[in-house]
Amino acid sequence: MDFTWSDEQRELFTAIERFAAAELNEGIIERDEHGEFSRDGWYKCGEFGIHGLPVEEQYGGSDLDALATVGALERLGYACKDNGLIFSINAHMWTVMMPVAAFGSEDQKQRYLPGLASGKLIGGNGTSEPDTGSDAYNMRTTAEKKGDRYLLNGSKIFVTNGPVADVLVVYANSDPAKGPHGISGFIVDAPTPGMTVTRKIDKMGVRTSPMAEIYFDNCEVPETNRLGKEGAGQALFTHSMVWERGCILASAVGSMQRLLETCVRYAKQRKAFGQPIGKFQQVATKLVDMKLRVETARRMLYYHAWLIAQGRSAVMEAAMNKLYISESWVRCCEDAIQIHGGYGYMTEYEIERELRDAIGSRLYSGTNEIQRNLIAAMLGV
Amino acid sequence: MKILTPFKSVPENYGQPGATSSGGRRVINPFDQIAIEEALRLRERGVASEIVAVTVGPDSADEEIRAAYAMGCDRAIRIDDERSLDPHAVARLLLAVVRAEAPELVLMGKQAVDDDASQVGPMLAGLLGWPQATFVSRLEPADDRRSATCTRETDGGLEVITVQLPAVVTTDLRLNEPRYVSLPGLIKARRKPIELKTLAELASNAQPLTAILRVAAPPKRSGGVSVESVAELVHKLKHEAKVI
Repeated sequence: MDFTWSDEQRELFTAIERFAAAELNEGIIERDEHGEFSRDGWYKCGEFGIHGLPVEEQYGGSDLDALATVGALERLGYACKDNGLIFSINAHMWTVMMPVAAFGSEDQKQRYLPGLASGKLIGGNGTSEPDTGSDAYNMRTTAEKKGDRYLLNGSKIFVTNGPVADVLVVYANSDPAKGPHGISGFIVDAPTPGMTVTRKIDKMGVRTSPMAEIYFDNCEVPETNRLGKEGAGQALFTHSMVWERGCILASAVGSMQRLLETCVRYAKQRKAFGQPIGKFQQVATKLVDMKLRVETARRMLYYHAWLIAQGRSAVMEAAMNKLYISESWVRCCEDAIQIHGGYGYMTEYEIERELRDAIGSRLYSGTNEIQRNLIAAMLGV
Repeated sequence: MKILTPFKSVPENYGQPGATSSGGRRVINPFDQIAIEEALRLRERGVASEIVAVTVGPDSADEEIRAAYAMGCDRAIRIDDERSLDPHAVARLLLAVVRAEAPELVLMGKQAVDDDASQVGPMLAGLLGWPQATFVSRLEPADDRRSATCTRETDGGLEVITVQLPAVVTTDLRLNEPRYVSLPGLIKARRKPIELKTLAELASNAQPLTAILRVAAPPKRSGGVSVESVAELVHKLKHEAKVI
């Protein structure tokens, strides 16, 4: 495998860094405080081409393979400090846009992909329910077939982009007797009669990414909006999870790189006891550990994406990626705070926010405990 | 309406601390970017039908040609010339391109940020015998496309003039804010052809009439000193700096 970037790819990455640094960071401290989603940032990213990176050109995307896409998102995470905005974009890309690209009918692709790829349509995903999270396939939401329509009934929680979404991919059981094999995916336009955003959800980190609980009460969805075959929900979900778990933390690698550089600068400038604090082994060791984490995380990220780009199985690598990068990100943030001492704990230094943002990554896309279960199962134990 | 947008490749962040005049990344002269952006907006409004970018330089300028494509120009021409040129020579080369392309409007930056000459646009208009509007901060082609109303930024205020088309218009900073080049634009730009024109093909005998003899950086400032009292300050100003 060769992870050398082409001239074209490097040009793209440079363009992303410039764009993100100039356009996405202003007001982030205030937006985080108030839990405000940046629609402006979202649409700018869409117009610039972030959302559409992996989408085919005929639907308005850039048709990058998985490896170049994670390289690009890594740069986005490096230059953009609004982790909530990036999280919203990730949720949109991996749980809405890519499932439509992979499983959508030609008609569905024509109707939804150009809007999703350009960011003009905001996508959200309804999988988790108040009583089912890690055991997602026990979902209670049902989709009852009535002629050429389905009636959705149930409740979805932790719907990223829920309060602002134009289109949702919702999983519901269309044949509860079959258990998990009865689950199907649906593309639901928002708003649709029978669908209610019951509440916005406030949270610890990625506060600029809006989240909602959504309730379906006899919500009619035309059969033409079923994603994939009836009962194919599990396969759909597994497929999108391989992308999601492998790619959703690409930006975290960029964030770690930025934290490392910030800390190295600080360790050279800040003096204590007459010398730069980087000269103290306890600080230097933390920097070395951060460096090791970001480099190993990056290689895991690229390797997984390379497997996907080669069309090879990457289920275990996706789980390892998600587990390793999220843990590394949290540890990097903790070390960065410690290196900055009291200042690191202060909002204006923008590291405490990064830690709050990072902690969520241990939970979303399947908790790290679930990832360990998956890896253990694949090890045959 | 066909628009020709000549541009110059200049060092990025020219004149800013830490910027290098050679070897570093180069970009389309910012004022020329504004001209290209205006042409794009005119095309989006249905006023312009084709935008042709043109530059003069060696093959390293192909990067900026691609940037012009990435912004959205329809065609891009590079006049292959490695010589060190002055504004007159560039205007003569552009003259040959204008004659070949026959645009209704030449839209370009009011100056290049590296040499600040501000001469190519006016010289080109002179060579063509076309009207010109310089330092334009607002450009409004008439419905019949036979003239354009231009607002010029002058020291005395805003001057509104009408020029008959075809004309040369040079753009001021306040005309617009160029868009970010989109990622799909960057990717597609790599596949677009660069039209190469040699001096022979242009039948141009453009020669520089001026030469740069030397460029001297401003003298370095020596560090200041702190003084204890007003009396000491006055003494130093009188006897050391000798300014009062």
